[in-house]
Parts: sequence; C-alpha cells; structure tokens
Amino acid sequence: MPLKADIDRHDTDILILGTGGAGLFAALHAQTSAPAGTKITIAVKGLIGKCGCTRMVQGGYNVALGPGDSVERHFMDTIVGGKWLPNQDMAWRLCEQAVIRVQELENEIGCYFDRKDDGTLDHKAFAGQTADRTVHKGDLTGIEIINRLMEQVLARPVEKLQEHRAIALIPTKDRSAVAGVLFVDMRTGQFRFVRTKTVLMATGGGPTMYKYHTPSGDKTMDGLAMALRIGLPLRDMEMVQFHPTGLLGGEGTKMTGTVLEEGLRGAGGHLLNGSEHRFMFDYDDKGERATRDVVSRGIYSEMRKNNSSPNGGVFISMSHLGVENVRQDFSGMVKRCADCGFDLAGSKVEVVPTAHYMMGGVVVDPDTRTAMEGLYVAGEDAGGAHGSNRLGGNGVANSTVYGGVAGDTMGLDVRKMTTLRDPDEEVLTAEMVRAEHPFSRPESHPQHLRTKLQDAMWNDVGIVRGETGLKKGITQIQEISDELMETGVAGDNLAFNLSWHDWLNLRSLCDISEVIAKAALARENSRGAHYREDFPDQGDLDTSYFTIVQNEGDMLNVSREPVEFSIVRPGETVLPEGEPETLVEAPSGPPGQPQEAAQ
Amino acid sequence: MLRKLIDSVGPQFEAFKSQDEGLGVTETDKNIDVSVWRGGPDGGSFQRFEVPKQDNQTILDVVAWIQQNDDPTLSYRFACRVGMCGSCAMMVNGNPRWTCRTHVNKVLKNDRLEIAPLRNLPVIKDLAADMDPFFDKWREAGGVFHPTKSRNDPVEEISPLEEERQNANAGIECINCGVCYAACDVVAGNPDYLGPAALNRAWTLLNDTRDCGSQSILAAVSRGGGCHNCHSMGNCAHLCPNELSPMTSIAGLKRVTALSFLRPGN
Repeated sequence: MPLKADIDRHDTDILILGTGGAGLFAALHAQTSAPAGTKITIAVKGLIGKCGCTRMVQGGYNVALGPGDSVERHFMDTIVGGKWLPNQDMAWRLCEQAVIRVQELENEIGCYFDRKDDGTLDHKAFAGQTADRTVHKGDLTGIEIINRLMEQVLARPVEKLQEHRAIALIPTKDRSAVAGVLFVDMRTGQFRFVRTKTVLMATGGGPTMYKYHTPSGDKTMDGLAMALRIGLPLRDMEMVQFHPTGLLGGEGTKMTGTVLEEGLRGAGGHLLNGSEHRFMFDYDDKGERATRDVVSRGIYSEMRKNNSSPNGGVFISMSHLGVENVRQDFSGMVKRCADCGFDLAGSKVEVVPTAHYMMGGVVVDPDTRTAMEGLYVAGEDAGGAHGSNRLGGNGVANSTVYGGVAGDTMGLDVRKMTTLRDPDEEVLTAEMVRAEHPFSRPESHPQHLRTKLQDAMWNDVGIVRGETGLKKGITQIQEISDELMETGVAGDNLAFNLSWHDWLNLRSLCDISEVIAKAALARENSRGAHYREDFPDQGDLDTSYFTIVQNEGDMLNVSREPVEFSIVRPGETVLPEGEPETLVEAPSGPPGQPQEAAQ
Repeated sequence: MLRKLIDSVGPQFEAFKSQDEGLGVTETDKNIDVSVWRGGPDGGSFQRFEVPKQDNQTILDVVAWIQQNDDPTLSYRFACRVGMCGSCAMMVNGNPRWTCRTHVNKVLKNDRLEIAPLRNLPVIKDLAADMDPFFDKWREAGGVFHPTKSRNDPVEEISPLEEERQNANAGIECINCGVCYAACDVVAGNPDYLGPAALNRAWTLLNDTRDCGSQSILAAVSRGGGCHNCHSMGNCAHLCPNELSPMTSIAGLKRVTALSFLRPGN
C-alpha cells in the first residue's frame, strides 16, 4: 500500500481538537497567552461550533454569583453530588473559575444570560444544589454560548481544519511526548499529519454506544480511544450518566434518545407505565421528582417487568397541568415533539432513560496536563471533576473553565518548547494501516454491528449492572469487535465517505465500551451513576477509590486508586460555621420546585 | 432496490419550490419514492431510491436509511439530530429545511420526496454543502461582540424590559443553519449580498448596549452587499425553523442606517 505518498504533512504550534466550549475557549486563551507569532490550529470532525454537545446545553451554567451563594458552597455540592469521588483540586478550580468564566462570557465574549426584571442575573435552582446557582439563556443556553464563542474564534487568525477527523495521537520515537495528530480530511479522504508542540484533546466524550443516547451523532469516543491507545490512564470510566426522559420514537429514527427536559417532571409531569399506572411512587416517595438516577432505575425496572409502552418505554403525561399552560411553559419541548409527530401538551409521549454524559476520562492535573508531554485534555474527555455523578449545570462550566485553563497552560508551556518533535514513523504508518483496514475486507455496512453493540451495552452494562451481566457484556463486546474487523467498506472513493467513518466510529465505540464494562466490573459497590445489583451499598466513604483503566501491551489493566481528600474529608465541610446547610426550600414542595438541569 | 438516474439537473432545482406542505397522511406499508441529488462542485444529477415508510420518520432518517441500507456512498451532514446545531439543512421538495426536525408526513406529497443540498452555497459532495461563504458573510457584517469590559468586571445590570434588549432578544436565537440564506432570492441573484442571518446578527449587536462596535457594523451593513439589497420578500421569516424574522431585523437596519446617513458628522 503506497501509504506515505498519500499523506499530507503540516506544522503548527498549538493544535486544538474539538470546537465545543473547551476547544473554542482554549483557542481564545491560547491566543492571548502564547508569544506573538505562535501558530494556533483548531480541528473539528464537523463544522466549527456545530459539533459536540456544549451547543446542546439546555438548562444552564452553575456559577456561585447568586444571593448568599459562595464558591465553597458550589464546591461542597459538587463533592457531595459526586459521592466523594471527585478530584477535589479539580472540583475547586471548576467552582472558583466558573465565576471568572461567566463574567468573561458576558463581558468579553458577548453572551447575554437571562436577567430578572431589575437587570440582575437570573439564577435557577436545580436539584442537588443548595443555592440558586444556574445562569441560563432560556432553555437554549448552549446555543448562546457556542454562537458567541464561535464568532470570536472566526474573527481571529486561528487556522481552521473543518471536517478533519483525528484518528491517532502520534508519539515521539521514545514515547515520552506527543509529536502530533494524524487526521483524515473527511472532504477528500486524504490522511493529514499535523506536527505540533502542544495538543489539546477536547473532543467530548458522549456515550453513544448505548441503545438510547442523547449526545450529538458525531460523538463516538474517538478522543478517549486515541488516549487509550497511546497508553494514557482513564479514570471513573464506569460512571455513565443516564437522563431519565429521552424521547422514544422507535428504532428507525434518530430522534429517539434525545432529551425531553427535566423541568417537565419538576413542573408535575406524570410518568405512566404501559397500563397507565403512575409507578414512580412505587420506588421513591418523591415520585417523579426523585433524582435522575433513581427515576432512571424506576423506569428501567418497569421496562424489565414488561410494564412498558408500545415502543418499550414508559409515558410522560402533562395534560393534567392544562394543555395551554404546558404549551406556554415548555414551548421548545412542545414544538420539538410536534415536529417529530407527538403532542406533548395534550397527549402522552413515550420516553426512555438515555445515556447522557461520561463522568470518566483521561487522568489530568488541574492545569489540564496529562502524563505525556505536550498533551492536554479538557472538557468531557477529562476525568476527575465530577467523580461518580455530575450535577446539572456543571458540564458546561467544566468545559468552558478547563478549556480556558488549557489555553492558558499551553500558551505558557509552548514558550519552553523551541522545536517541533518528530513522530515515530512506525506508529504513524501503523495508524494509517489501522484506519484503512476495512478496505481489505468484504463490503458490508457496519450499522447492524452498531445496533448489536448498543443492545449489549444497554442490557448488560447499563442502568442496573451485575457481575454475570457485565461478564456477558464483555464477551459480546469482544465478539462484535472481532466481527467489525471482518467487516469491510469500499475504498474506491474516500471523499466524504460516511460509511468509512461509520466503521471508524464503531471501532472507537468498541474500544471504549470494553473499558466501561471492565471498570464497572471492578467497582464492587454502588456510587452515583454506577449501580450494582450484587453490591447495592455505596461502600465506606473514607476509603473511597476510583478506577483506572490503562492499555499496556494490548491488554487492559484495571486498578483502583484511593481518593485523596485534599480539601475536605467525608463528614466535614468547608462552609463557615453557622452557614445553613441549604439556601433553597425543601425539595418536597409544590409543583415548580427546584429541579435538575437538562444538561 | 430500484435505483436509476433521472435527468441531469443542478441542485438549485426549482420544480417543487412553490409546492405547499403535504397532507399528513401515513400509510406505513408504502414506500417513499425519494430523489436524491448526487454529485459534487462540478455538477450532478438526481438519483431515485425507494425507502420504506415508518410512523416516526424525519427527512434525516430517510437520508440515513439510504446510506445505511442501500447506497453506502451517499454523503450528507448532521450532528445534534434535534434542531440545535444547524448542520443538516437541505432542500426538501424545493424548500430549505432542517432535515432532523422535519417529519416526512409534513412534506410528503404523492409519496414522493426530492432532497438536494442547500441552495446558494457550493456543494462539497451529494447533500453536503460548504457553509464557509455563509460564515464569511456573518463575519463581514460585523458579527462578533466588541467588548468594553473585562472578565474582572461584574456582570452588567441590564433589564430585559429595555426596548433595545427586547429587539436583540427577538433575533438572538438564530442557530446559523443557513435555511434563510438558502431561501433568499436576493442571495441567489447577488452573491455579494450578506444575507438574512448575517444581517439579523448585526441587528442584535446594534441593540446590545454593551457592544461598542456600532460604527463598524453600520458601515458594514450599509455598503454594496448590505441591508438595502433586501426586497422584503419574506422567505427568510416564512421558512426560519426557529420562527425568527430576519426581515424585521433588516428593516431595523435600513431605518438606522438611513438615520445615521442623515445625521451630521457621519
């Protein structure tokens, strides 16, 4: 194969993968922190600002700017919400810097978050939080943030590589540092190797290997799969957050799995099973208003008992609140359902729990540095800030805070890096061979394998887990993975060849599915998003551990590391003495009480 | 599966342009007769496919079905699948639409669909258009916030009841999907015209009391390809999936630029 002849080579100084909140903020911050003349390149699998999930944030952005709130309070909520697993230094930085970042978004980037009539910022209350904290722009907060960030990046001299799919991080020959990133230019199908002094990986996680999932279709775990292959440790990978109410429209439609916002339950929406029984009170005395994980498990239990709706989920019903009220208060959701053929305000709509967010990711320090020189990770690709559970509103805070931190850090570090590093050409060639593998096999679309993987992950590595199921899941993942290697794609025209990319997507998804399943098998307790039927207790908080999965010689090694309580220990608080435990009213109040964010 | 080429025509296919929406009738045992534009920057033609009908099915589902079950070489673009990213807009029976949020029943007529890449933009391949010219114009119209304060300042108190803020809010939820740009006949006739989305953004910035770039925005929207080209035909407002009215924003720009031209010293 004449591989080397088909590769374009390109140099830059700072390379950013991804254009969500983390990638765009990194580009802006690197531009001010790096010395004059530093070349900055931003690459994305789709179009700038249109890929990824920051854009899909509905609920809002957690920031301790509300009345009586403090960074300490936001921090404690994050630690308690994460069930004592978060890296505390990262969680602290997240809460502290969110304040600066929101002011930056408003004053420098041009976002306008919703105000009260007196002109001050409106802070929504979300479940699991002890203060009104979440700033928002209606229920389309992500669009406001990404549109304004995208404009700022487009207006600057940043090199743009759109529809460039990263397929491998390429190390130096001695493996001590990253030399650059291998891409496929999706528009032409050509390989492009970009040598760089620093790389930020901000491709977003996105658990799209589950039958029902919320993230954008472009997200297929490419970043984490690349990190795994180059030998970086991944933490908390068993922690996959499920959102209780994804739209269920049947198997043949991409609308299935997309989020119907949490506020519907908060406002008093009912969840009904197939025989129209309002079942959530059978599981929790807060009914539909219990937390995300509890409601997801309640719905899943009904599904397992076959108490389900025609498409195999349950119903959400809103009409008892008044059809006109629902139309007015949830206009975006009502319109979205109507476009898809469903009447949310007047009728029942089928819903199902849906995989939403990866709490786990690459092990990084609070400056976004990894174990490999020149490689930085921020946003959903990085693990640590959320521990076992992410609070609604902390996702966009995490990506924008740490994207900015990464830009600052790379801008400083690049000053010490005088020359570009040369790649290990053998790895480069091997990675191209790997990507071209399907061209050597008989042609057959991999979609049926993706469906198989999604079923296996949903059934055996999903909302409720156990040893037998997880072991079965691991076997299935390995079988699907092997079958993929015998599934081919026609390689005669590589330009915008989506079927090739479907294959590559599934390759990444198989690799990370195995990591999730093995981490889930290693955690023998139930914390946050991870629930083991055979180990239902949360375990001792003082000896909390997090899981690490690392690829060594093509074997996945799974280990546990103790959580370092560097700021606060279980049972303690950093709130000043005399501070009330919560500033919001008890969550068992009337309709309209605090709820979790939809994102 | 039936797959035959029909007459070679460009993606700017007009035959269905004025056609109204379908009847909303579903018969799931039927197939949909789908014509899909295939080709690249140098031209192409429509190709026919038969796609099984389902109760819940969007145009994006139809396109994906073809690629995953019939012709793996079909190219198109989508990301969020739920009307937030604006990556998947295409011409559907002659009108630009988000394909992810357009139910087949809404547009189907006589069990036929015709799907082509967005009008007024270069084609990359098949149904994927190059959106760079659209974003170039966004930038040319001054579409970026011009700050006066920094991250160390508190968030400014601005009441949502102020008239200017209400003007800005009315147009701010644009997701830059390019539907209005493809719908606009002025863009079709004058490649220099900035187009509805870029001008709508300029109007929201002019109404943002925190933005200090008014003079440069006014200059940008007053020049050759600027707001005065708009003939107020209203396709942009009619077809905007977010129910915004770029036409109203452009009318605002026309008014303000006329005033600033008359004002001494400008």
